[in-house]
Amino acid sequence: MVLTNTRTLVLIIPHWRVIAAGATHDHRAAVVKKDRVVDVTPAGAEHGITPGTRRREAQKLCADLKIIEDDEERSIRKFNSVVASLESVTPRIEIATGGWCSFPTRGPSRYFGGDQALARIVAERTLKALSAVLKTTEVPSVMQPRIGVADSRFAAVLAATFTSLSRVQVVVPEGSATFLAPFPVDVLASKYSPLLEAKELVDVFRRLGLKTLEDIGALPSEELLARFGSPGLLAQQLAQGIDGRAPLLHSISDVVLEESEIDPPADHVETAVFVAKALADRIHRHLAINGSACVRILIEVESEHGEVSSRLWRHEHQFTSADITDRVRWQLEGWYQSENPPTGPLSSVRLTVDETVPDSGQQLGFWGEKTVNDERAIRSFVRIQGLLGPDSVTVVQRGGGRRLTDIEQRVPLAGTRFDPDQVITLPESTAAPWPGRLPAPLPIAVLPQAQQVEVTDGNGRRIGVSGRGQIEEDPVRIRSDSLGSHPIIGWGGPWLLDEKWWDPATKSRQARFQFLLADGTSHLCVIENGKWWLEASYE
Amino acid sequence: MQNASSGISLINDIHQESSPLVLARHRTFPVVDELAGLFTDGGIRQGSTTEITGVAALSLASALTIAVSRSGSWVGAVGLPMLGSSAASDLGIEFSRWVFIDHPRDQVGAVIHALMAGVDLILVGPDIKLPPDHGRKIVALMRERGTSILTVGKATLCNLRPDLCLRVSQATWTGIGWGHGHLLSRKVEIELVGRGANSNLRRELVWLPDKEGRLKTVDQSNEPANLLQSAPRMQKVLPEIGEQVLQAS
Repeated sequence: MVLTNTRTLVLIIPHWRVIAAGATHDHRAAVVKKDRVVDVTPAGAEHGITPGTRRREAQKLCADLKIIEDDEERSIRKFNSVVASLESVTPRIEIATGGWCSFPTRGPSRYFGGDQALARIVAERTLKALSAVLKTTEVPSVMQPRIGVADSRFAAVLAATFTSLSRVQVVVPEGSATFLAPFPVDVLASKYSPLLEAKELVDVFRRLGLKTLEDIGALPSEELLARFGSPGLLAQQLAQGIDGRAPLLHSISDVVLEESEIDPPADHVETAVFVAKALADRIHRHLAINGSACVRILIEVESEHGEVSSRLWRHEHQFTSADITDRVRWQLEGWYQSENPPTGPLSSVRLTVDETVPDSGQQLGFWGEKTVNDERAIRSFVRIQGLLGPDSVTVVQRGGGRRLTDIEQRVPLAGTRFDPDQVITLPESTAAPWPGRLPAPLPIAVLPQAQQVEVTDGNGRRIGVSGRGQIEEDPVRIRSDSLGSHPIIGWGGPWLLDEKWWDPATKSRQARFQFLLADGTSHLCVIENGKWWLEASYE
Repeated sequence: MQNASSGISLINDIHQESSPLVLARHRTFPVVDELAGLFTDGGIRQGSTTEITGVAALSLASALTIAVSRSGSWVGAVGLPMLGSSAASDLGIEFSRWVFIDHPRDQVGAVIHALMAGVDLILVGPDIKLPPDHGRKIVALMRERGTSILTVGKATLCNLRPDLCLRVSQATWTGIGWGHGHLLSRKVEIELVGRGANSNLRRELVWLPDKEGRLKTVDQSNEPANLLQSAPRMQKVLPEIGEQVLQAS
């Protein structure tokens, strides 16, 4: 696996949810989701209300607290206007959620003269946009945007959230691991971490005496993988300043793009969203077949008058098709309420999967009830791989073809990216239209290597086939070292295979026969260049 | 009287609810209906070894894993590089939770030991040999973990003592003649020879595979009656009962 890091700038606006809900810092207000406070204004925080507090308890702590229901759409719609102010800096802004976006710094940093200068410009513009949202010239310091630049996303996020007074922190290139080293392991479970359900993992780390990211980074990675599965490995990569899951390096032809005309053009957001949903489903299926998952997607919507809304969205874990549909809705709501809304009805939607990662089976909750089974199993396979080598444990993958060895394919199980729900089996393979295929049922024992056999007629002479694959004499007896010598009591065939006749180096001409033997066994044999081979048995 | 009897039933209830012990024979791995008749518990008992021999042994062993593979449990196949996944998935096996360790080399004991920590059912190929002391340890561990082993071929060859022996006693192909037709479907008769509660001889007649490659019960109403006979079973059971009666009197 090639791990590539992209130097990234992360912008985080603290308390964005309350800002988006229309509260300012001196309001006593809290945003509540599912009966729990998710964000609170500094004035509210003075009463001891923190994210995670129950609604009742929050009201008890502060009697005149204004409770606002959380609304992700509102949060992102308003954030769009802030992001729009940065579009002249770079076109590649990825929105993760309301109040949190990032972009690769390589191009813009060179243009603006270094990471520091770039970060300052981003800070200025964001502040200006923010004051417009808050309708005040004085943005209180606790709500001012925070910016971090580092070699990996996770390091940049920590640089942004743990900034010093200046609210901008640039980690020197190659310095991410050193920067991360002193952080306590708890940051792995923070809301900005790509580790799902990491609280228990962090708990175990702490109890094992691993207190800082440095401790985790120093452990041997095989041990972490064997003990904790893929979350353990990811934790270590994050701690070492590597962006955990490497983006799959792929050529243009592999880029998944789905687009659709909206016909007739739609005036309503929901109509366009409905069209996008079908596209999202298709993308999701397509990726699942390849065993990969989408973490970044480009959504483009065009109006009849040629106006285009285009935005990149990033997901810390992976997009489901419902997630993608949500992003389309949020983007369109934002567009309609922006300063430049579309003047005509919407005419087309295009979704481009911009970045995928191997689907590492994140949905296998390491601690979840349902899949404890799978993690336990994978740990035992890792142990076997340790005994016999990495390709000793294989799983089935089906291919198409005429020869049994083409159909039967085993691929080594790579513990880090195995997800049992993604293994592909093609149930229709026996019905696939391969001329020259064997008739079903197929033999269940396919020899990994064909064995030479002798097929003779009544006079003990070896049997050959004519140019058309017709057998010259009736086959009466079959003999080989492994089978012994047996009379043939029934036979069928030939099934001819004339493959790659255009290429003298790889061309092959085979005739295949089924033999039923007196001992009740039945076999599939081929004759090629006058020699008989046992290929498979119907055991 | 009424009070006493309700008291007893209450005690029984409490006993049932508080009893922490689930006997091993109550826990089984599921087996498809076509083959369930072979097992007294309706499935493969957890922690047991089943030996499968005869002409269609590999097909039968695979068929026994169909229900397990579909229930989300893991299956490990040791030393079965030849198992054809096309034919096996036509039989109905889900390969999403199925791993192969084709060549365990001289680490057979260690591999099976490690597998037991992770999978529920282990298939052992005909060429696998276990050292005798490993065999005993593995049997003990199987009881503890509830992992079951199916051996393709004689179990004693790999130093495991089988709890159940399934043998394909008869296999008849249809569809193939002398130079015409092709192998279409195979009717097999499976015999079970077991120990303890399973000591009765049981038989089952199935298509393995039928002409679509699947497992199917033979519809016996259209079959000549002489293929299935219950006489041997009766002969085996009757003398035992007779002896018991004599002793009691």
